[in-house]
Amino acid sequence: MRHSVQLTDKLDTLIRACGVLLRMNKARPDARESERMYYEMLSSYFVRLKNARDEGKFVAAHTVFFPSEILYAMDIVPMHTETTTWMISLFTGECADLLAAGSDLGLAPEICTPHRGLAGAFASGALPRPDVMLWSNLICDNTAKSGELLMEVNQCPGFFLDHPFQHSEDEMQYLVAELRSMVQYLEDLSGQKMDWDRLSGIVDRMDRQIELFREICELRKAVPSPFHFQGFLELLTIDYLFPGQPAAIDYLETVRQELAEKVASGQGAVSDERFRLMSFFIPPMYLIGFLERISQEYGAVSVVEPFFTFWGEGRLDPSKPLESVAEKSYMLPEMRMYGPLDDRALKSIVGCANDYKVDGAIYYADIGCRHTCATIKLFKDVLHDVDVPVLTLDCDVVDPTVTSEEEMREKLEQFFELLEDR
Amino acid sequence: MLDRFREVNETFPKTAEILEQKRRGRKVFGWLCTYVPEEIIHAAGILPVRITGHTHETELEDGSAYLYANNCSFSRSCLQLGLRGEYDFLDGVVGSSTCDGARRLFDLWRHYIKTPFNHILTIPRKQTEEAHALYYRQVVQLKEQLEEFLGTRITDEALQESIELYNKSRELLKRLYDLRKPDQPLITGAETMEVLNAGLRMSKELFNEYLEGFLSDLSAPVDSRRPRARLMVSGSVLTNPEFIKSIEDQGALVVADELCTSTRYWSDPVMLDGNGTPLQAISRRYLNNFPCARMFPSDVRFNRILDLVRDFRVDGVISQIIRYCVTYAHDLPLLTRRLEAQGIPILALDVEYGTSGSGQIQTRVQAFLEMLDAKRK
Repeated sequence: MRHSVQLTDKLDTLIRACGVLLRMNKARPDARESERMYYEMLSSYFVRLKNARDEGKFVAAHTVFFPSEILYAMDIVPMHTETTTWMISLFTGECADLLAAGSDLGLAPEICTPHRGLAGAFASGALPRPDVMLWSNLICDNTAKSGELLMEVNQCPGFFLDHPFQHSEDEMQYLVAELRSMVQYLEDLSGQKMDWDRLSGIVDRMDRQIELFREICELRKAVPSPFHFQGFLELLTIDYLFPGQPAAIDYLETVRQELAEKVASGQGAVSDERFRLMSFFIPPMYLIGFLERISQEYGAVSVVEPFFTFWGEGRLDPSKPLESVAEKSYMLPEMRMYGPLDDRALKSIVGCANDYKVDGAIYYADIGCRHTCATIKLFKDVLHDVDVPVLTLDCDVVDPTVTSEEEMREKLEQFFELLEDR
Repeated sequence: MLDRFREVNETFPKTAEILEQKRRGRKVFGWLCTYVPEEIIHAAGILPVRITGHTHETELEDGSAYLYANNCSFSRSCLQLGLRGEYDFLDGVVGSSTCDGARRLFDLWRHYIKTPFNHILTIPRKQTEEAHALYYRQVVQLKEQLEEFLGTRITDEALQESIELYNKSRELLKRLYDLRKPDQPLITGAETMEVLNAGLRMSKELFNEYLEGFLSDLSAPVDSRRPRARLMVSGSVLTNPEFIKSIEDQGALVVADELCTSTRYWSDPVMLDGNGTPLQAISRRYLNNFPCARMFPSDVRFNRILDLVRDFRVDGVISQIIRYCVTYAHDLPLLTRRLEAQGIPILALDVEYGTSGSGQIQTRVQAFLEMLDAKRK
């Protein structure tokens, strides 16, 4: 396929950036230990990916919410396409090039930037070519439809994992059958066998990982809340890149310990907590620094993200590893946005607002994300009933041309004034 | 005869037939997508109609406020009519997990419009045997939910009768489409769309009667000359005949279409082969149907498009994709390459649902036709 944008493999850049951040982190006396661990983990992820070809490893590129537990159990090197692409964009500032390369492929502007850009990242050479492309319909049509074009761009085979919409017994059976077919497909393609004992171990750790996510959420209920805004993206990334991995357990235990110490000493994430916020969807990644600053300035702290950090109920069973991988997909916080938004899903939002003593909510309305924006009015109405105002911020999760720091500041300041007046 | 179909379309949703059926106490249900098995609703004694939005382009203040501006204008248009009470006669709504727009439309419809019966089906994206087993269970559940709601049983005999009735519609529509195949077609694309739209909005009993009469009246070509080009319209949901007419006013004729309101709706019959129950036959047909862009692998859809191109001797394809209809937008680069490999040019138009073909669209169509003219020389 022809394209005008040519970039070189950016994994080295990512690895160097992680190294710089680690050095900066070590130079800061107040730096969190968990932050150091986070950058070390990121670096190790990209180093493994970079070395995979030389070491003769089989590389599987996959989309978000894809069960990469399976890949770890088969000793296949995973490449989380969205995270890798947008870390490149963050560290290199080449967002416009990635999007232009995606447009060159014929992808319309309405296709969300994360998926347009990741297609561009493969087409332009910013991402290495994988041995196989894996994708599913979690969490939207963009993920469901992204894989076939990526197969053509990379000239590689692929497998689409069809995740059912609802959570009935029939649908669980279907999903387990899909997972089984995928394992068989990967075994045939890679020549590597599934290590079921290893998968059981991963599931066991994943269960622990989810428990730790829940414990971290519990600690965030404290007043003042101890959790930094930036930590939200760290938690997401850990879940995306290291499901059921020992390093993830170490990281999460460290985060939990840090938060527990803060709670014990009455120390909050911001020096003077005034507003406790609920956040919907993902804030613009390129404005995380600004959001951290304004959070300190106004004493506004995000205490819960119902669709990103608040895990559903249930436990995983290592003796049934494939069923547990399927079950986990229904426990994902994001799953509440994917299935039918019935009264139960809406009540969980109200429950979060009450349990976390929320004063207001911020909805990051990513202009490319249809299925999340379609719930803005619904969530506003539900939260209005419990007297929680919602600020909608139009933005794009990766494209800095959609909104500016100044615009964001103006709207946030107005919202904080409104909360103050109440 | 076409006027009878036009009248249905112009008065929809509150057509004379729907109001009369309601007056007689018959329940009317709306369905949101072609993966909803209409025969089951019909076999329950209910009149099924497809929920669509305004046929013409219009302001969508309510739809946009509830679904946000970045959802497709079809979903917003449907919701707009629902919020304004245009569908207040509905006793039930059946949706499906087809795409983000469809599932969110269902969520909001259930929450704000509160039609008495609401049901959403999980639709697998594959056509494997496991997918068929799952979809079949979904179909069984729909039947059971309907039975509980109505307090009645849906019998195999009733299902068989509904299948025969709906297959009759499909057979008549195939005859109509065959009239588009000659060098000088007997019906225009815009007229065909009037017929198709009415078929979604009235009882099949009456539709079949109208369509049989209409077919028997069609004997002369629409034009004594051959059309400037034979075109296919492909892509997102489309119900505005004016859009097709704006293309045909430039001398071309739309002889084929690949839309969920046209070929993808009617082309595949339910096969009652005696080896399974009527419900199994319905289930198999709906999942195996001419696929929408949501399905995997996309080549099943692409190959059927290429078949249509050959059968209807299409010179060029107009892809019309509603903004934010991303399933079709993702397929477009892949489809374009496959058509171009067969020497079939494609014109890609970004549109809003209900558009009648604005000046800009007309200009682009004109340029496309000129390119086809030059290619022929």
